[in-house]
Amino acid sequence: MPTFTYDGKTIPFEPGETIIKAAYRQGIEIPHYCWHPGLSSPANCRMCLVEIAPPPGQRGMMLDVLEWDAAIGDYKPRQKPKLQPSCQIPAAEGMQVKGDTSDNVKEARKGVQEFLLLNHPVDCPICDQSGECKLQDYWVEHGQYQKRMRDEPIHKPKAVRFGPSIVYDAERCVMCTRCIRFMDEVAKDPVLDMRERGNLNEIFVAPGKELTGHYTFMTEHVCPVGALTTVDFRFKARVWFLRTAKSVCQGCATGCNSHLDYDPRYNKVYRYRPRDNEQVNAYWMCDEGMVSYKRAHEGRLIEPRVKGSVVAVKKALAEAKSYFEAVPGETVAVVLSAQHSLEDNWALRELAGAYLGTRAIYATGLAEGYHDAILIHEDKNPNTRGVLELASGVRPFSSLLDDIEAGRVTHVIALGGETPADASAELGERAKHALERLQALVVIAAHEGLLAHAAHVLLPAASWAEASGTYVNAKGIHQVTEKAIEPQGASEPAWKLVADVGQALGYDTSWTKLKQVRARWTSAPTVPDATAVSPSPQASQTP
Amino acid sequence: MATATFPKKPPSPNNAYVVAHVEPTPATQVYLPEIFKGLAVAMRHFFRNTKEMVRNERPDPVTESIAQGITTISYPEQKRPYPERFRGLHRLTQRDDGSPRCVACLCCSTACPAQCIFIEAGEYPEGDPRRGYERYPVKFVIDELRCIFCGYCVEACPCDAIRMDTGLHAVPYDSREQFIYRKDLLLAQASRDGSHLTANPRHEPGDETHPGVTREHMTH
Repeated sequence: MPTFTYDGKTIPFEPGETIIKAAYRQGIEIPHYCWHPGLSSPANCRMCLVEIAPPPGQRGMMLDVLEWDAAIGDYKPRQKPKLQPSCQIPAAEGMQVKGDTSDNVKEARKGVQEFLLLNHPVDCPICDQSGECKLQDYWVEHGQYQKRMRDEPIHKPKAVRFGPSIVYDAERCVMCTRCIRFMDEVAKDPVLDMRERGNLNEIFVAPGKELTGHYTFMTEHVCPVGALTTVDFRFKARVWFLRTAKSVCQGCATGCNSHLDYDPRYNKVYRYRPRDNEQVNAYWMCDEGMVSYKRAHEGRLIEPRVKGSVVAVKKALAEAKSYFEAVPGETVAVVLSAQHSLEDNWALRELAGAYLGTRAIYATGLAEGYHDAILIHEDKNPNTRGVLELASGVRPFSSLLDDIEAGRVTHVIALGGETPADASAELGERAKHALERLQALVVIAAHEGLLAHAAHVLLPAASWAEASGTYVNAKGIHQVTEKAIEPQGASEPAWKLVADVGQALGYDTSWTKLKQVRARWTSAPTVPDATAVSPSPQASQTP
Repeated sequence: MATATFPKKPPSPNNAYVVAHVEPTPATQVYLPEIFKGLAVAMRHFFRNTKEMVRNERPDPVTESIAQGITTISYPEQKRPYPERFRGLHRLTQRDDGSPRCVACLCCSTACPAQCIFIEAGEYPEGDPRRGYERYPVKFVIDELRCIFCGYCVEACPCDAIRMDTGLHAVPYDSREQFIYRKDLLLAQASRDGSHLTANPRHEPGDETHPGVTREHMTH
């Protein structure tokens, strides 16, 4: 791989790659506002200027400048190398680039910083970006000057509504055009553009249009300053109080890598942010995914219930035991959930295969929905591939209803509250009647849903935000989420609850640590052949 | 065979000395004379205080601590003057229109080492001139029992919204709940000179004096 040097450090690059991108991949940040690794380079912020030594045998491009000489008390002519934007110059073999080590670059960065802050209102207390603002960070790193402009700064429109989810503040905008380029290049919906010039420059929405669609939140996340804010996160929290867990979006089978920001003081999740992963989601997330953090608190089940009334966990387990005494194994079915992690599903499959001896394994999950060619997958479950991997040929929810109606299944242990029947009234009605016929329905679920409502015994499971778990996305990539907040209420990780249920039923389900679960499933030999009962044509599809 | 060595006893510090042992004598063992001596001191103070009170000779409360004489004052009728930089209880300053100057940036609660400040930020309601421009504290709570009166919150506030210039010191309430100062109470507290405003006014977006652009095209 060819290399160039930046401040004496050797950086490898792929042919055609820009200097800034090659350095970025090596973890070296050349300061920038308008450049984004996933977008084109307009080179309009001039913050990433670097000094590039001329090729051997050639003259460098020089500028004539007047420099104040304090010794003689006058200006002195000097030649200064012309700096070049590293976001647009492709790296070349043996190129020698100077950034932090060049006084000219330092001066340029300071100048750019001063220019960008000329009219910028320093309303950091009101601004949501404070704490993660490039203007603040670079001012500390490269600015540190006294403000020289004594005039009233130019005032531009504040709090302009771009659409239902985005509010724009023209005064804070540094005109990096990242939002414009994002809508243009990634979302393929070029509704944003720039108007006016110089001091009056501002971003606007095409007349008669609104900033809507499935990728509006990303415009806020690519904004390096606080010009764009989302209605959802606006004024809700200060980012320096938030902690971040590396998570995986639960919105669909794409499994976008994300940061889950939460406040440990209140045990509350505040937002999702995209996390870079070239293989899965590049740098982006969709709106539905980004607001899906709310499911960490909305529709959560946090207390054990027996037939709808709240009880203690012990009581609920004892109740579960009483249902399953002297029940023939053939009539017991387990329902895996594509909404739950691989660990949770493994535990239930293990209980079914090794202990209950049931071969009737079904799977639930949310129904299919909107999809597009950018990120959004039609399968709205994060772990469908995982469930299929664990128990090949699991049968869909509708065939569970068939089997209940035919009387082949009378006792069910299910994971996950959501079913495809939640969205459809017709299937919902049928499922409701079918589930009423069951003699026992033990549900371990984090979120409300038809199954959770019909449960005889309901055990509250930890949601994806409250426990570490593995999810397999549509491409088959295994991704692990970190635990963010503490489990709410009486909820516990579902694999633990499955072990508890197993022990209550008198089995030796002894996994008590996540490590044990992971170690056992990677070496587990007991894969029950679920297809042995009756192979279903839809089995390999989404359940 | 090596003998076991024990750590040496540390030497006596240089400033230590042995108090001479005093043999008990009848003079030291009879305690009644000392009791009467003590009573005499107490009675001397009692009669002197009474005499000074009757003759109206009580000294100035500031100089009394230096001067000989009584060491008490009749609080709360009499109060010692506080130093100029005394930090009283908090107040929230108001704008001219009575709204809090606080923009709920949480700098004060971030700086607070006692973590006694709780703020919930919110957006101004529909129709308010500051709607969309600014945040405001929906809740602003200070636990005065936890507060250590360090003044960091005042230093941290970028809007001069929180001040400790009320001249009030913590009042002896009879329940903990009463020490939880909420937004309304904090806004109602006045500074020592009786003002609810700040000495550092500024143009704020939403004010009529703010030299901003027209807001006609900004429906929000």
